[in-house]
Amino acid sequence: MQELMHDYKGKNCIIFGANSIVGMELSKFLSQKEVNLGLIDLESHKHNMLNEINGNSESRIVNKTVSSGNEDSFKNVVDNIVNDLGSVDYLICNFYLEEEMRKYNSNDISVDTWDKIFEKWILNYFLVARATVPYMLQKNSGKLVYMNTTTGYTGEGEGEGYLTGNGSIYENACSSAITGMMTSIGRDIIPKGISVNGIALGPNYMNDMERILWAVDFWLSGLCEYAPAQILRLY
Amino acid sequence: MDLQGRVSLVTGAAGGIGVKICEKFASLGSFVYLCDIKDTTEIVNSINSKYQKPRAATAKCDISNKDDVKAMYRHISEKSGGVDILINNAAVYGPKEKRHFPEISVDDFIKTIQIDLSGAVYCTLLAIPHMRQKGWGRIIFSAAPMSSSGIPSPYLAGKAGFIGLTKYISKNYTQDGILSFALALRHVDTPLIRKVIASRGHSVEDGIDTMNKKSLTGKMISPEEIAEIYAHFSLTSLPDLSGTVVLADGGITYLR
Repeated sequence: MQELMHDYKGKNCIIFGANSIVGMELSKFLSQKEVNLGLIDLESHKHNMLNEINGNSESRIVNKTVSSGNEDSFKNVVDNIVNDLGSVDYLICNFYLEEEMRKYNSNDISVDTWDKIFEKWILNYFLVARATVPYMLQKNSGKLVYMNTTTGYTGEGEGEGYLTGNGSIYENACSSAITGMMTSIGRDIIPKGISVNGIALGPNYMNDMERILWAVDFWLSGLCEYAPAQILRLY
Repeated sequence: MDLQGRVSLVTGAAGGIGVKICEKFASLGSFVYLCDIKDTTEIVNSINSKYQKPRAATAKCDISNKDDVKAMYRHISEKSGGVDILINNAAVYGPKEKRHFPEISVDDFIKTIQIDLSGAVYCTLLAIPHMRQKGWGRIIFSAAPMSSSGIPSPYLAGKAGFIGLTKYISKNYTQDGILSFALALRHVDTPLIRKVIASRGHSVEDGIDTMNKKSLTGKMISPEEIAEIYAHFSLTSLPDLSGTVVLADGGITYLR
């Protein structure tokens, strides 16, 4: 299994979308590296994560539930994590599309569904970053990693293994919009010492955890300075 | 080749690029609905004055409001059967103040992206069923280069979202006769650009001259040229071209 190659001991990391499989795996590996974790999701944590993740690690873990699309809720949650752990070094936006969204395909399109997915994915990514980045700006350092999917580049998505199972027009639009948002945010805060990068998950991403870990390791390390606002596409 | 019998819907129709697209599509025989939050009666009258029968109508609509968009589509469906060609051209380059992250307010972010992304998504989702039924459709997006500098995050998120939409439509609806294209626009000589130059106390001619010199081709792109490209996309009958994204920036992106 892929090892994290760099030393992150004592760093504080927020993971938004911690309930997902990728979120769980990232939490485990960062915890083993003695990273303190602020785990945020829209639902309370399903898998008794504190015990499962923490094991024998000395890392501290704080679990928080946030209200989707609610600016105050995101701010309160991040403020509470900072109160518990100290200022934030890393933010990984790893929200995932829920089971209910897997049913949508090219025959099933509606403006109401768009509003729901837009809020949960794009707006929440914006809100969690907006609540977190001011802490990074206070010390002129920090790293943001945005997870999206390769469907925004290829238009693929009709098939088993894609994030939404059947793929959807919503996922494609959101995925490429997140790329644009990430690039623009990067232009605003990279000059202030905060790196911004992305990871685009490809099909069958759950079988590809080693590459995801490798990519996260790459962007959380100092190597990100050589590739500002760039995205690693994991096909 | 022409667009006779085709119904077009152009969003952002009152803007510098939108007007030229409407004029061009009407000249090709299409009946054009001018969608804008502003009143487009004068533009519609100007277009219709050139032809024996009307080729344009207003479609006043706030595209950030999905109920407004649904009502517009119902109206077009009743009057003309449905939209055959959709040009997603509307955008606001906002917010005007506190545009940098993280100072940008959540309200400004939502207001801007609702117009720049959700508005186009609403229009697209409501256009697809009619196009599929008819077995013919064109959906075109006015996007932007992802690498553009100085662009506020909700604007660029919206424009970048068009790339994913274009790709998805081409992969999933080409077999239904719906083709999709995106033009990543930058460095276009619009009335708005001229207004911005003047508002900064510069001579408009000098400002345009400076901007012309910044491009690889020595000149900014004109709205008429953009309209020509959109017409070219709409007229094609080659399904393999669907999903094409063209960077139309006069080469400025490569010079930076």
